[in-house]
Amino acid sequence: MQIRAQIGMVLNLDKCIGCHTCSVTCKNVWTSRKGMEYAWFNNVETKPGLGYPVDWENQEHWKGGWEIRKNDLHPKMGNKKGIVKNIFNNPYMPRIDDYYEPFTFNYSILHKSSKFKTPPSARPYSMITGKKMEKIEYGPNWEDNLGGTYESRSREKNFDEIQKEIYGEFENSFMMYLPRLCEHCINPTCLAACPSGAIYKREEDGIVLIDQDRCRGWRQCVSACPYKKIYFNWQTKKSEKCTLCYPKIEAGEPTLCSESCVGRLRYIGVMLYDAEKIKAAASKENEQELYQAHLDVFLDPHDPDVIREAREQGIPDNFLDAAKNSPVYKMAMDWRVAFPLHPEYRTLPMVWYVPPLSPIQSAADSGKIGHNGIIPDVDSMRIPVKYLANMFTAGDEEPVKNALKKMLAMRAYMRTKTVENEVNEEALKDIDLTAGQVEEMYRYMAIADYKDRFVIPTSHKEYAEDAFGDKSACGFTDDEGCGTGKFKNLFGGL
Amino acid sequence: MEHYINNLLFTYFPHIAMAVFWFGLITRLVKTNKTVQAQSTQFLADRKIRIGSNLFHVGIIMVFFGHFTGLFTPETVYHMVISTETKRIIAITLGSVFGTMTFVGMIILITRRLKDDRIRINSTFQDYFLLFLLLIEVGLGLASISTTATASVEHYASLGVWAQKVITFQPDAGAVIAGHNLIYKLHIVVGLFIFIIFPYTKLMHMLTIPIAYFFRSGYQLVRKGLHWK
Repeated sequence: MQIRAQIGMVLNLDKCIGCHTCSVTCKNVWTSRKGMEYAWFNNVETKPGLGYPVDWENQEHWKGGWEIRKNDLHPKMGNKKGIVKNIFNNPYMPRIDDYYEPFTFNYSILHKSSKFKTPPSARPYSMITGKKMEKIEYGPNWEDNLGGTYESRSREKNFDEIQKEIYGEFENSFMMYLPRLCEHCINPTCLAACPSGAIYKREEDGIVLIDQDRCRGWRQCVSACPYKKIYFNWQTKKSEKCTLCYPKIEAGEPTLCSESCVGRLRYIGVMLYDAEKIKAAASKENEQELYQAHLDVFLDPHDPDVIREAREQGIPDNFLDAAKNSPVYKMAMDWRVAFPLHPEYRTLPMVWYVPPLSPIQSAADSGKIGHNGIIPDVDSMRIPVKYLANMFTAGDEEPVKNALKKMLAMRAYMRTKTVENEVNEEALKDIDLTAGQVEEMYRYMAIADYKDRFVIPTSHKEYAEDAFGDKSACGFTDDEGCGTGKFKNLFGGL
Repeated sequence: MEHYINNLLFTYFPHIAMAVFWFGLITRLVKTNKTVQAQSTQFLADRKIRIGSNLFHVGIIMVFFGHFTGLFTPETVYHMVISTETKRIIAITLGSVFGTMTFVGMIILITRRLKDDRIRINSTFQDYFLLFLLLIEVGLGLASISTTATASVEHYASLGVWAQKVITFQPDAGAVIAGHNLIYKLHIVVGLFIFIIFPYTKLMHMLTIPIAYFFRSGYQLVRKGLHWK
């Protein structure tokens, strides 16, 4: 058993209103630079939709993630030889047009010009060429609230094995929001595909980072990541990605996207897992077994054996304490309401999602609503369970159904409790949770206090590095060091 | 005077070029290592790069190894396997094939860079300078093939003798090729000039060729510590 700690995140999609506050705070801090205008480390998509970059879930096209070849796990793009062969030209790499051409508006024309014959309008200008653009073709939120035609949106992968025609009708249409960021996978393909070895996973908290000093711009990570969450900076010609706001995480604070979330739907916590099980878990032949395999990688932070072993392996006590109170553990393991996004990519992602409830379809089949006792039947929800299952469990509907049932039961139970002041045992009869658990679930998922949502241990710099050498040094240095920048000694002496 | 210039360019200039090359190479790698990288424009415009970039890179890598083995293998060594005449045939064949590949690839890459707004506007002087310099060098190399094919075998063999005399610091190196065609001489001078500027340009990215990748155990990397040095 090789125990590692990992900072994980859960997003409760049931509460997401698609306001993009997470995207904007992230953008302002991390990617408001030349070369990264088009990049959104965090973006919110309306589903069903092709998303950003366009059709990112189609791995037949982009070759992201892993696959099993000759009984071994290899990046879908190819083994090491296949990847290095593509460094002159990466055939699977998305182009800027697959994201969108970043643009700005020439607002100055509105106050500089003297008088217009016609009402003035601001025209878009490309931020790459500086030239006027005829038309904005695509964007990070192009299909906002079901924008565009159903025909184009429904081409997305999650509609596989679904009779999708009826969902194009107005009465049967459905939507949900999907905020996306780097998954900080336990088995990241980006890292595996980096020929320079610039991408690494931090042992102490599992954050996946790109060492900008070692990145040589081979661009393999961009296509290797199945979530397309590595962005190529066209100015510096190196790759960049979400850092999970590691300076904040190290200080015990939540990431910007989580902190600013107005719906309070993001949770951050520590998970303990066994690194020796990674490969076996990611290599499960049947894609639908991958979700369970991922759960099996996690270790119970309450188990005394795990705690003893973790201490022996040098995991600090505050990480072990945080793991016990981890909201991620509760949702993913205790209540089983959170799911990984596309486990079939075999990367063992660590940003999990609580599937959204949706209104019961009533217009079309009035009077025929499926009821299961007092709880509505999850099969008659507006968002097809199969669609959610394609997103979260590689198509296995059972776990998603159970999660939705639990959330409905929680609502029914808490409603009778608060409105009628009675204990509604009937609501809990079909789910494997106790009244106490349901009340705790309510506290975490409905009330969602700050201290419950974010249980983040401060990192221990003393374990990670010998900071003595940095004493009295200047903080951020570049080639000029601390000097004035006028004088530069080529040999690094005084 | 002609003798002086010949001596300067083909006896001393190679050493000057090599000195600058190694000095620049080492200082660049030590001092600004992180600037050594590929400068891919594939992301901005994929058009034509697939064929152009692959032709150019495969071509020029083969041409490089061809020159290296061809020039620096001593006569006594290769005579154990092949005659000078056979060596010349091999050199001409491989040189034409890979030289043409490089040349065609460069033409594709140059037209792409000039035609596409996104790339042209974000290109620097260095991008154009290197493209045209390499194009001239490859063009000169291709142009010298006919002379190589028609002149005497000794004429061809003396190119290797010159290179070996240079790297062994022999004062009469320049004299060996004094009577050679101007195309050879231009090819050599431009080539040495490329060596001089090499450490100060994006050409350095060829030193980052990911060989260590093949020796990495498995695929995954986990770093202990916040600060990897």
